[in-house]
Amino acid sequence: MATEIIAEAPGSGAGNLLIPKSRQTFAGMIAIVLTAIVAILIAREDETVAAIWVVGSMFGFTLQRSRFCFASAFRDLFLFGSGRNMKGILVGMAVATLGFAAIMRWLVPNPDFGGLPGEAHVLPVGLSVVVAGLMFGFGMVIAGGCVSGSLYRMAEGYVASWVAIAGVIIGLGVMTHTWNWWWTNIISHEPKIWFPSTGGMGYAGGVVLTMAGLGLVYLAVTWWETKNGIFSPHISRHVAPAMTFSERVREVIDPVFKRGWPIVVGGAVIGFLGVLLYLIHMPLGVTGELMRASIEGMGWIGLDAPIMEGLSTLGGCTGRAGESGLLTHTFAITVGLLPGALIAALLAGEFRVRLPARKIRYGQSLAGGVLMGYASGLALGCTVGAFFSAVPSLSLSGWVFGAALAGGAFAGTYVIKRIP
Amino acid sequence: MLSGNIPVLDVRGEICPYPMMRTNKELDENLPGTLALDVLTDHPPALSTIPPQAMKRGYEVEIEEAGSGQWRIRLTKAAS
Repeated sequence: MATEIIAEAPGSGAGNLLIPKSRQTFAGMIAIVLTAIVAILIAREDETVAAIWVVGSMFGFTLQRSRFCFASAFRDLFLFGSGRNMKGILVGMAVATLGFAAIMRWLVPNPDFGGLPGEAHVLPVGLSVVVAGLMFGFGMVIAGGCVSGSLYRMAEGYVASWVAIAGVIIGLGVMTHTWNWWWTNIISHEPKIWFPSTGGMGYAGGVVLTMAGLGLVYLAVTWWETKNGIFSPHISRHVAPAMTFSERVREVIDPVFKRGWPIVVGGAVIGFLGVLLYLIHMPLGVTGELMRASIEGMGWIGLDAPIMEGLSTLGGCTGRAGESGLLTHTFAITVGLLPGALIAALLAGEFRVRLPARKIRYGQSLAGGVLMGYASGLALGCTVGAFFSAVPSLSLSGWVFGAALAGGAFAGTYVIKRIP
Repeated sequence: MLSGNIPVLDVRGEICPYPMMRTNKELDENLPGTLALDVLTDHPPALSTIPPQAMKRGYEVEIEEAGSGQWRIRLTKAAS
């Protein structure tokens, strides 16, 4: 961390408080118990869904603690030359790549036979991914957070993030009504390029290529930071050694629950959770459930989504939106993220209902959300499903989506600099 | 310790990147050369984006909690 919190000033600025700090810790503990009870109740119906619920909560917890943010990862490169968040993402994808490769090799021992590993996020590559990445990258910078970022901020009390997620659901709805055009004219002609079955590369080649690519991008980001004069100031902590029992316990508890995590630790944990989730069923992704919400919502207002051709054959996040019932896998990961992020915020004393200071932020959140929703429908996933889970799936689509995200974020950065 | 009239920039309710952008603008345009500035924020990521930018401009940084879910970032600089 760049700095440390040196004192707690009680009572000051209490105007907008919802819950005082000590009560936040207490509420956080209650939230842990409730989340666990929900997990046990779900397990009585379906143990797989319960397991995904728990991973989802850990995902939300980690996102909040490490302030994992895809929007700032791309935006800050252009805004002030910082690659802090991008490095966390790269490390996370490297961890996930090793785990995914092991799982995929177990699912498909011989990649040359033409089959793709079930559930891997190997998605079509072509114009659709480029358009989606540009739209999504632009939208997330305008809204101030991507889909996963807005989800965990919803739980932390950011009102604008609720607006952003509403926008995402609307955008996904618009997508369902234009999907068949994209499918017929564009997506059905696009190949899925999976490195292990390309050019006789095999798993070894696919992993080496992906890891080398991640390493090169990491180096490039470091070069970019150097060029822009970015440094992480180190402030030495002069902390007395822990002597009493309670001090020794706090020494373990505080870095996990009270202080923010280094971004690289957050990235590695999220990469690990992605591997765990793939072992349970599928790679990480959050838009599937939002797509279900969108389809459901349109049904209520009489704008029923048309049958989306080809979608169920494509995989990715939105391809899973066809699951029915409440206790689906997409429900467990997306909704499970919320209590995890809430617990993290409460235990750290960071929960607060935050209303945007300026009304224009509502507009930015909604517009950015709609763009992200449309784009994640088109790309079959958001920055998590179509990027963070696609690169480790050894899919070319993840790289193309990532590059397009950077392009969109560049344009978005240009615009927000001009919105005061 | 400084006392008296430290100017305050209230960026509560703003999320990234606005807390940092508005702090930079305050330091560079609105109060150029100020020896002290208190920034009020309720956006935790700002606690790791504002300090490096302020340090680049020669400020020392102290962060303290100012109530639940909000912080005061005090930027100070020795008179040169």
